[in-house]
Amino acid sequence: MDKWEYSESIESDSIVSIKSKYGHFIDGKFSTPNSKKYLKTVSPSTEEVLASISVGNKNDVDSAVNSAKEGFKIWSKTAPSERAKYLYKLARLIQERSREFAVLESMDGGKPIKESRDFDLPQVAANFFYFAGWADKLDISWGTKEMKPYGVVGQIIPWNFPLLMLAWKVAPALATGNTVVLKPAETTPLTALLFAELCEEVGLPKGVFNLVTGDGTTGSELVNHEGISKIAFTGSTSVGKYIQNAVGERDIGLTLELGGKAANIVYNDAALDQAVEGVVNGIFFNQGHVCCAGSRLLLQEDIHDEFINKLEKRMQTLRVGNPLDKNTDIGAINSKEQLDKITSLVNEGVNDGGELFQIECELPSEGYWYRPSLFTNVQPSYNIAREEIFGPVLTTLTFRTPEEAVDIANNTEYGLSAGVWTEKGSKILWTADRLDAGVIWANTFNKFDPSSPFGGYKESGFGREGGRHGLLSYLKVRS
Amino acid sequence: MTEIKKTYKNYVDGKYVRSESGKTYTVELKSESYELPLTSKKDLRDAVTSSKKGFDSWNKLSQYNRTQIIYRLSEMLEGNRDSYVELLVDHGLTKSAANKDIDNAINTIVWYAGLADKWEQLTGNLNPVDGEFFNISHQEPLGVVFTLNSDEVSIDKLIRSFLPSLSIGCSVISFSEKNAVLSLKLAEDVNNSDLPSGSLNLLSGDFTKVFDDISRHVEINALASYKKLNKESLKTINENASTSVKRIFHLPSEDGLSSILPFIETKTVWHPKGR
Amino acid sequence: MSNINGQTLTSPFSWASTIELLDGVKVDEIGVKERVSSLSTRSIKRESKLQALNYVVSMCDLTTLEGEDTEGKVLQMTAKAMRPDPTDDDVPSAAAVCVYPSLVSIAKEMTGDSNVKVASVSSYFPSGQVPLESKLLDTKYAIDEGADEIDIVINRKAFFEGDYRKVFDEIVALKEACKDKHLKTILEVGELRTYENIKKASLISLAAGSDFIKTSTGKIPNGSSKEACLVMSKAVYEFKEITGFSAGIKVAGGIRNAKDAIRYLIIVKEELGEDWLDANYFRFGASSLLDDVLKQIRKLRTNAYQSSYYFPRG
Repeated sequence: MDKWEYSESIESDSIVSIKSKYGHFIDGKFSTPNSKKYLKTVSPSTEEVLASISVGNKNDVDSAVNSAKEGFKIWSKTAPSERAKYLYKLARLIQERSREFAVLESMDGGKPIKESRDFDLPQVAANFFYFAGWADKLDISWGTKEMKPYGVVGQIIPWNFPLLMLAWKVAPALATGNTVVLKPAETTPLTALLFAELCEEVGLPKGVFNLVTGDGTTGSELVNHEGISKIAFTGSTSVGKYIQNAVGERDIGLTLELGGKAANIVYNDAALDQAVEGVVNGIFFNQGHVCCAGSRLLLQEDIHDEFINKLEKRMQTLRVGNPLDKNTDIGAINSKEQLDKITSLVNEGVNDGGELFQIECELPSEGYWYRPSLFTNVQPSYNIAREEIFGPVLTTLTFRTPEEAVDIANNTEYGLSAGVWTEKGSKILWTADRLDAGVIWANTFNKFDPSSPFGGYKESGFGREGGRHGLLSYLKVRS
Repeated sequence: MTEIKKTYKNYVDGKYVRSESGKTYTVELKSESYELPLTSKKDLRDAVTSSKKGFDSWNKLSQYNRTQIIYRLSEMLEGNRDSYVELLVDHGLTKSAANKDIDNAINTIVWYAGLADKWEQLTGNLNPVDGEFFNISHQEPLGVVFTLNSDEVSIDKLIRSFLPSLSIGCSVISFSEKNAVLSLKLAEDVNNSDLPSGSLNLLSGDFTKVFDDISRHVEINALASYKKLNKESLKTINENASTSVKRIFHLPSEDGLSSILPFIETKTVWHPKGR
Repeated sequence: MSNINGQTLTSPFSWASTIELLDGVKVDEIGVKERVSSLSTRSIKRESKLQALNYVVSMCDLTTLEGEDTEGKVLQMTAKAMRPDPTDDDVPSAAAVCVYPSLVSIAKEMTGDSNVKVASVSSYFPSGQVPLESKLLDTKYAIDEGADEIDIVINRKAFFEGDYRKVFDEIVALKEACKDKHLKTILEVGELRTYENIKKASLISLAAGSDFIKTSTGKIPNGSSKEACLVMSKAVYEFKEITGFSAGIKVAGGIRNAKDAIRYLIIVKEELGEDWLDANYFRFGASSLLDDVLKQIRKLRTNAYQSSYYFPRG
């Protein structure tokens, strides 16, 4: 029992009003699905059922795509400055209803309210603000007027940053003149459904934004629909490969943002205390449900013990619990399936010979939880050093020279992100030059900005989201 | 009831002020005439002091924040559309031309608002130098800019004379003459947009009375005239400017990306890459 | 040599070992700011808030360091330190009063052997711009007058001239002059500015035998900051890991309200640990802070916002 315990400080959920049953958002309004199948979306911190969600079938997807096609006819005639204004208005509404969205996100997905309030929602608004400003500047963005939108884009997003992933997809797509059919993740549809209400409120022309909820079958229907001119997918590498395969001979645009097993390299001349913070943030932020998580700690051997001591001490101050408690640092694991996967991989790691440290803390009796964990004494051949765990589990490897660090960091099929910690500027640049990763954080981690392009090398996917380069994901050069 | 007539004043450092000289000049419109401040050299010097502070405050804000502030100006204009239309009509425009002008002005503001956090992505870059070096050309705003508005009766044109430099981070002293009522009215909405004091100062007067002094003022980093100047003025301005190598722009482009290029200072940084 | 907390330190830590400590100092500014920012989002309510507020009162060094201080003024303040809220017995007394040497004996007359200590500034506070001999005289006088604690300033002239050895030696000498009285060493973080300077100055002060390191004199515009407190906490913790000695931290200058004070306690709890949530290990140098804290305590008890005129002047 602590000498000074923080009392509970619960963010009230009375600000949200969740319907018991939801349909789809097609042609500018909410509609009854053709599909008779529903699934339940559950709060992973309490296991309470929040709502019934439609599992969109072939006909639902078809309606949505057709609506988007019609919408494209209107949207392509809409002046760029008008497109900009719709997006600015959406940004403003998101800002106004930020608290409501944040609470809903935490309830549906399990992430701490501190994160959804201070990180997710501000980034969501910023993304709409940023891309609104490109809508009327496409002609100067890449020095050519020859770039055109694809038409109807099918977008499939994951459950780790539901509303933010929606913003990353929808804002640039609409700014560049495309129309959208979006399928949110099975376990986290609620903020997307609330977003659809905003589209109605700003009077976005019918068919410009369409939302079809469902599971993998729904996503499959969308990916295979002949009316789609481009697919944008964020999710697991295995599903990404399936999608790329399914595209086959169709001449459509494709961008994939897949998994990662990022190396966080700590050199012996790093500012150690801040490196500890960065490493903790890198893997425990959002319960480790982050594609670019720094899940492999690469420590220079001569600072191993000192660093691990500091790290374990710091991990012990992490607070696991009710996502709606403002003092919670680590929320719930998104689903039972994910929890089982994490548990099984950790057990495998222990059996392989890794030494496991887990923080001591009480876990709530209901819900899906995992204690922040750290593996030391790990060899690069163990599966926990290779496979993406997607949970609050950090694996440590050691290196002796900068060349070795780079070698180990690149020794993976993934290439999404990496971290480099050293106070020596030239070493940062030397290392960054040699890392096969799309995003490199030096002396920091998990920094995102709508203006900063994000995306991977190798099996972490292709295409970039954000920034001037992010526009290229939604524009094609007329041939 | 007796109608109360508005007094238009200069907008400097977030406040509405008369000329310290007490002098005014008359602008005659169709239904009304206004006495506007005849800005003196001292007024301008005070404005420059304000603009210098304003430059720091404007640049402390993130570019994202500046985008939102400029966008807010468009919201203000939209909200006060009717009063602008009335004023433009009083200047001699037809009602439909006035509305078109406000439409254009709003679209112009929205365009520059969205540029405020992107312009460096379009103008700066990494340079592929030979050797183990990282080399980046970072773009910075010039500093304090004095701009002269043309005489055209147009809110859009007025905005195009100060917003390019303002949107990339310069602080601006915007000077209008015959059509200054438009500028001083706009000051009200500028004030409501959360622009930091001193980042944009709006003044009225007679350029011929002040250009000699202003082109000599070392703390103004650039002078941009969106009004065609005669040869004698241009000669004097350039001669004065040469004493401190001030940047002078006569009729700069008002279109797209080229409209901001004059107001950028490029800073190139090198760093070795090595273990 | 031992200090008020009964711990022993082979003091001073050798200069050679001190240099080694200083060599390893690397601090990333943005990382520090982000950590402080993150800790500032902690939401402290209800019971935990009341508990925190009581900690703050018990950790206050009520301070007056003005040219115009008189015995009368100091007596009023000391009375307040001994009984901050006469209407509420649950409110603890403050930790200490902090005064100039010429007011020490009058304060001591009132505090006697109560819990409230009398701290005196010395070493030519606040600038320290005199030779060591003068600083020793200043300190000796305060000790003779009855001070329980001494707050000195580091020699910033020597620090910025790169003479860290001199900074160290002066503190060693002043600690000796204090005998068994508790020594707080003021870094003046507002002048040191960079976090690396603050960390170095912290380590030098700790190595030289300080019982407490203190942020500021309160006499320059830039006083304490949460970032400085975080960096100092790192230094204190590292020093403890190496020597076993737990030093204390005092934050002073610019902590105006209860909310801010509580944010400092959060840093202490999460960075140093709960052992430091104690007046023997953490202090606030305060004047107006105490009143805001008392108001907050009364509000929590009565559920109504308070006004200063309900509380006695000090």
